[in-house]
Amino acid sequence: MEEGLVSLGEYSISNVHSRDCPGTYPGRNDAWDLDRFKQLFRVEVVSLEDDALVFDMIGIDASIANAFRRILLAEVPTMAVEKVFVHNNTSLIQDEVLAHRLGLIPIKADPRLFEFPPQRTEEGDKWPSSTPEHMLEFVLKVRCTHAPAPGGAGRRGTAAEPYVNSKVVSGDMEWIPIGDQAKTLSDVGPVKNDILIAKLRPGQEIHVRMVCVKGVGKDHAKFSPVATASYRLLPDITLLEPVVGERADRLAKCFSTGVIKVVGNGDSRRAEVGDTRKDSCSREVLRHEDLKNCVQLSRVRNHFIFSVESTGALAPEELMVEAVKTLMSKCKHFIRELDCLGSQ
Amino acid sequence: MNAPATFESFLLLDGEKKISITKDTKVPNAAIFTVNKEDHTLGNLLMHQLLRDPQVLFAGYKVPHPLEHKFVLRVQTTPDYSPQEALSNAITDLISESTALETRFKEAVRERREGD
Repeated sequence: MEEGLVSLGEYSISNVHSRDCPGTYPGRNDAWDLDRFKQLFRVEVVSLEDDALVFDMIGIDASIANAFRRILLAEVPTMAVEKVFVHNNTSLIQDEVLAHRLGLIPIKADPRLFEFPPQRTEEGDKWPSSTPEHMLEFVLKVRCTHAPAPGGAGRRGTAAEPYVNSKVVSGDMEWIPIGDQAKTLSDVGPVKNDILIAKLRPGQEIHVRMVCVKGVGKDHAKFSPVATASYRLLPDITLLEPVVGERADRLAKCFSTGVIKVVGNGDSRRAEVGDTRKDSCSREVLRHEDLKNCVQLSRVRNHFIFSVESTGALAPEELMVEAVKTLMSKCKHFIRELDCLGSQ
Repeated sequence: MNAPATFESFLLLDGEKKISITKDTKVPNAAIFTVNKEDHTLGNLLMHQLLRDPQVLFAGYKVPHPLEHKFVLRVQTTPDYSPQEALSNAITDLISESTALETRFKEAVRERREGD
C-alpha cells in the first residue's frame, strides 16, 4: 500500500488519513518545516477564464485545502441587496418574494472598496442615511403597458409582442450614486443584465429602492462570491498485470476516454495508463470479474484539483487571493487574542 | 420563529471573549482552548498543524453542538513546552505557509497570463 495514495476498493476506501505526523514512523523526522514545504509545494493553473479557474495545488494537506474551500464559500465578502423599500408593487409577485429575488442577484462591485455595515441591533436597524462607504443604492421602476399597434392605431399591439415591459430583468435596475461614488466607482450594476426578476401585465407596476451592503456567505448565501468552489484529488491508476488484446479494449471502455490508452495493433495490443486527470472515478472496472483484479484504483492524497467559479463580482484568481488574505487575517486576529490572554 | 440571527455565527456578542483557556488537571501540560464564533474551518486547520509539531503529545478538536458556534481544542505537550506556545507557533507556521501559498499562486497565474 503506497503511502501517498488513498486506495478505492470495491466495497470501501482505505488508507485515507495522512500518517506523516512526527512519531508515526520511528527514526523519520516529519516535523513541520517551512523550507521543506516550499520545496515540495507547487501550484499549476490548468485553465483560467473570466469566470472560472481550475488549478492544482500539490504538496499541501487536506485541512488547508478544505479551509480554503470553506472560506471561498462562506467568508469572502461580496455586495448584495439587503434592504428593499417598496414604493409600489402591483405585480403578482408578493413583496417578500420580490425582495428575496432581488437579494439573490449578483452585483458587480468590488467589495474591497466598501466597509461592512455598522452592527445591527435586535430592536431596529438604525442606519446612518446614505453613507457612501457602506452601501450602494439602486432603483427599479418598471411599468407594463399595452404596446401601440403597428401603424399607430389603437392600444393593442401585435400578437407577437402585445406588451411593453412585461419582463422585468436585472438590467432595469438603475444605480443611484451616493455622495462622490460617481467619481470613485465605475461600472456598478448587476453582473448579468438578463436575469428575469418578475413578469408583468398592463397596468402593473414595480417601483422599489434597494440598498446593497457588504456581507459574507455565513450570514446569507446571497453574499457568497462563488457559484461554487470545490476540489477533488487526482486519480491514480496502476496496472497490476499486463492487459493485452481484446481485454485491453474492454479495459479502456471501462474508463473515460483518454484515461487508458491501447498501444499497438492486433493481438498484442497493450493497455497503458494515459491521462488519469480525465478519470471520473466511477469504478466501473470493478463490475467486471475478469478485469477488476488487474487494476489498482487510488487517489493521490496531496494533489488537489481546485475549481473556483465566480459569480462575477471578482475574478476567480482575485477570489483565491482574497481567501488566502481572509485566512491570514483570521490567524493574525487569533494570535493577537492569544497574546492578550497570555499577558493577563 | 425561534431561529437565532445568522450573524451570530461569526460576530462576538457583548462580553464574549474570542478565546478562553482552562487547564486540564488530569494530565500535566494540557490545556483546553474554547474559541468562540469559529467553526471547523479554523479548528481542523489548527489541529492538523499542531499534530505536525514533534513536541505536541495530543491535539484534538470538536464542535460540541452544531447550534452553538464555537469549538474546543485540547492540546497536551511535553514538559518543557507549554500548550499556549505550541498553539502560537502553529499559527505562525500557518501564516508563513499561507504567504508562501499566495506567492506561488500569484506566480502561477501570472505565468499563465503571460503564456496566453
